[in-house]
Amino acid sequence: MKLVFGGAYQGKLEYAMEAYEVSETDIYRCSEDNTDFPQAAKIVYELDKWILALIKAGIDTDTAISDFMKNNTDTCIIANDISSGIVPYEPQLRQWREAVGRALAAIAKESDEVVRLFCGIPTRLV
Amino acid sequence: MKVFISGGCKNGKSYYAQHLAKRQQNDKLYYIATMSSVDSEDDQRIARHQDEREGWGFETIEQAVNIEDILNVCDSTGSFLLDSVTALLANEMFKSDGSVDFDASSRIIDGINVLLEKVENIVIVSDYIYSDAMEYDELTEQYRKALAQIDRATVKMCDVVLEVAYSTVTLHRSTEDGRWESLSEGLR
Repeated sequence: MKLVFGGAYQGKLEYAMEAYEVSETDIYRCSEDNTDFPQAAKIVYELDKWILALIKAGIDTDTAISDFMKNNTDTCIIANDISSGIVPYEPQLRQWREAVGRALAAIAKESDEVVRLFCGIPTRLV
Repeated sequence: MKVFISGGCKNGKSYYAQHLAKRQQNDKLYYIATMSSVDSEDDQRIARHQDEREGWGFETIEQAVNIEDILNVCDSTGSFLLDSVTALLANEMFKSDGSVDFDASSRIIDGINVLLEKVENIVIVSDYIYSDAMEYDELTEQYRKALAQIDRATVKMCDVVLEVAYSTVTLHRSTEDGRWESLSEGLR
């Protein structure tokens, strides 16, 4: 598993597609309105949006992420880092922020590569 | 050297940037002030920044839009501090008549391109506003996206890229010839 994360619009997808030679057809794009498990793909893009969908639907995210990880040991996961702002006023967004933090920490632990993007520049953390 | 600095707000970016600009000074030292005040809160913020620069020898050039126009009044061999891209975009994108210019980012990128071709020693400050758990309105989201486009285009033209978090500095890009090390030596 690989994890590529960073703030919004920092060039995460562009980097992962080039570094891991992935074409557009091999990308699964998560949506905040779709609770379905991400389909098998080389890149699962914006996992944080799937987590938001789960939270909106009242589904337990820790269990879902754990199941997701079992089935995606070779996947590159891309996520927006949403950890560094003000605590959101909306309860669901607060839950989301914490769930994404737990999920990315768990995924990073199991990944053989962890990369953070900053203004288009990758830094390999693991 | 061309240096790009970003990071969260009130983390010491401006102070660090001032030191770097001062160290790059050979002759003229310019502070490019981009914020155009809209209220007393802005006035106070500007006054605080002015106090911080007192005695450093900066010549302040006010340029809220069309950033490349500073070349008409500045000596391009000088050392420049441009603080900040964030304010520049706000001025170019949100007009005083209430209209919004969605092409502001590409215009600013062109302006910065022109500037960086002419100027050798410059420090450019931006704000890292991409890592919070908010769902913004469409306009704010467009602004965030536009700022990221400018950041990424500017970074491509810079020798050194820094992230400042609570006065600690992460070096994302450096020079290979030791110029950065000698410029930043002992600076915290």
